[in-house]
Amino acid sequence: MGKTLFEKIWESHVVVEKQNEPTLIYIDRHLVHEVTSPQAFEGLRMNNRKVRRPDLTIATMDHNVPTSNRSLPILDQTSAVQIKTLKNNCKDFGIKLFDIDSPNQGIVHVIGPQLGITLPGSTIVCGDSHTSTHGAFGALALGIGTSEVEHVLASQTLWLEKPKTFEVRVEGKRSNPHAVTAKDIILSIIKNIGTAGGTGTVIEYRGEGITDLSMDQRMTICNMSIEGGARAGLIAPDDKTFDYLRDREYTPKNYESLVDSWKKTLTTDSDAIFDKTFTLDINDIAPQVSWGTNPGMTCDVDESIPSPDEFSNGDANQKRGAEKALEYMALKSGTMIEDIMIDRVFIGSCTNARLEDLIEASKIVKGKKVASNINAMVVPGSQMVKRQAEEMGLDKIFIDANFEWREAGCSMCLGMNPDILLPGERCASTSNRNFEGRQGTGGRTHLVSPVMAAAAAIYGHFVDVRKLDFN
Amino acid sequence: MKGNIIKYDRDNIDTDVIIPGQYLKVHDYAELATHAMEGLDPDFHSKVKEGDFILSGKNFGCGSSREHAPIALSQSGIKAILALSFARIFYRNSVDGAFLLPIEIYQDAYDGISEGDEIDIDISKNQIKNITKNQTYKMKPFSEIIGKIIAAGGLFKYKPDQD
Repeated sequence: MGKTLFEKIWESHVVVEKQNEPTLIYIDRHLVHEVTSPQAFEGLRMNNRKVRRPDLTIATMDHNVPTSNRSLPILDQTSAVQIKTLKNNCKDFGIKLFDIDSPNQGIVHVIGPQLGITLPGSTIVCGDSHTSTHGAFGALALGIGTSEVEHVLASQTLWLEKPKTFEVRVEGKRSNPHAVTAKDIILSIIKNIGTAGGTGTVIEYRGEGITDLSMDQRMTICNMSIEGGARAGLIAPDDKTFDYLRDREYTPKNYESLVDSWKKTLTTDSDAIFDKTFTLDINDIAPQVSWGTNPGMTCDVDESIPSPDEFSNGDANQKRGAEKALEYMALKSGTMIEDIMIDRVFIGSCTNARLEDLIEASKIVKGKKVASNINAMVVPGSQMVKRQAEEMGLDKIFIDANFEWREAGCSMCLGMNPDILLPGERCASTSNRNFEGRQGTGGRTHLVSPVMAAAAAIYGHFVDVRKLDFN
Repeated sequence: MKGNIIKYDRDNIDTDVIIPGQYLKVHDYAELATHAMEGLDPDFHSKVKEGDFILSGKNFGCGSSREHAPIALSQSGIKAILALSFARIFYRNSVDGAFLLPIEIYQDAYDGISEGDEIDIDISKNQIKNITKNQTYKMKPFSEIIGKIIAAGGLFKYKPDQD
């Protein structure tokens, strides 16, 4: 029987494997940020351990960095301490750091691929659940906790339970690929499989609907694998992948010979069998908008909010969850999505703050103004994305429309820096989680694509972007 | 292992409500504990007692990989979470640092156990006894792999069996 891409990458990284024991897996790249690493470094110090492979470890600060003027001191003292701690830890342990003033600083899942650090067929870990993003390059990329971060720092390995395999086939072609985006595909998948649909599995996304996507779009898909409960998401690398990584700052010198070998090995065999399969047809899918407090509570932009009974299909907990979500979100069943008025717009995060996301959003914004009652911001995923966007004049388009144009970081995706929602504020957000309080205590999040967020900023409520012109 | 139940009768309790993002800058575990479950239940800190258990539905601990979540619960006195299912990163974080036991239960335990019930968990028999209601339920056994990490006392104490 043939093997899946996941099984091939797994097997090529096994260090120790015994029946009914965890498998010791070798880790090729370890990405580190300021929030989940301090205790791990402290653990190393307490046990007199070194970092086993500082050359395979890369750090940046993204979660709590301010996105406003970086020449000013950081006012939040606890954030300042955490940022300084990472700086000191990287210095003490000899780890390459893209510091807050580095031209390469940015969200860890945006800079890894941009710098050519993320490579096909490799194992990548980071103390962050959205590490799944890197799977877009055919890497096995796992989000881990701080104990595991310490274990990888100390040993460059991890004890893992072998995940199951889950094939998600995306078939068909979108009739309007500007209006119906990768975000709408992944939200549709999660709406169908549920937030725990992928638990204990590595998803491999396959089919024409996936191979059609650009690398920026594929990263959006893999990024939200964790929102479907999966350990990781994978897409087999192809020429788009290899072209993307060619000539990046840290692309290996023997890149072309690596590409030759990846082409031979990094595919799922035609006779491989997945533990589970789901197929989504995207010929007719609509832009998606989340209405509740988890990413599975999502519907089409031209639909109305379902009743808890319709949503729950007879499951008592699902029904209670929907009731509580509607209460928290201050929404009523039957309200048309397009009638929901919003207060804030956030275009950012490791899900949707890459160059293509900003280009697409700018097409909606160009020559228009943000609705008068709305505060809207663009937070590029990295300083490199910011520079590239500025070279194209995108900053001017957004600023002329009254968007704020910020420095790179995680920002309002998780409300660790000053960019937060106030209680009761309703936000159209291109991020990944609409959990209660995620973007600030009492804040209400609707997950949408960058073009949907841009349109909501202009019109003050959600609009079906299929009806709009893309300049 | 005996304790009383704090029940959250819903699915998808995420790590953002277990410990909201603004507290991920807090390194003092005792202070972290004062904010446990703050995103969902601001009264949690005043009602939780040493040795209590949390009972909840499916996909407990979904979302962010923050190990602060099991740490905050454990520092609050919670010894085990009983849930219909767990998100995997939270599950591993709980056992890797030996913070608390993530116990998967069946529907009968979820339906049968109420807020405040005193229960007795017997890991060796994979059994949960409801002392208050005089009922007994089965729990799902830990996988052999997870059982070995738990038995060792966490990830750093685990060593594979020698041949």
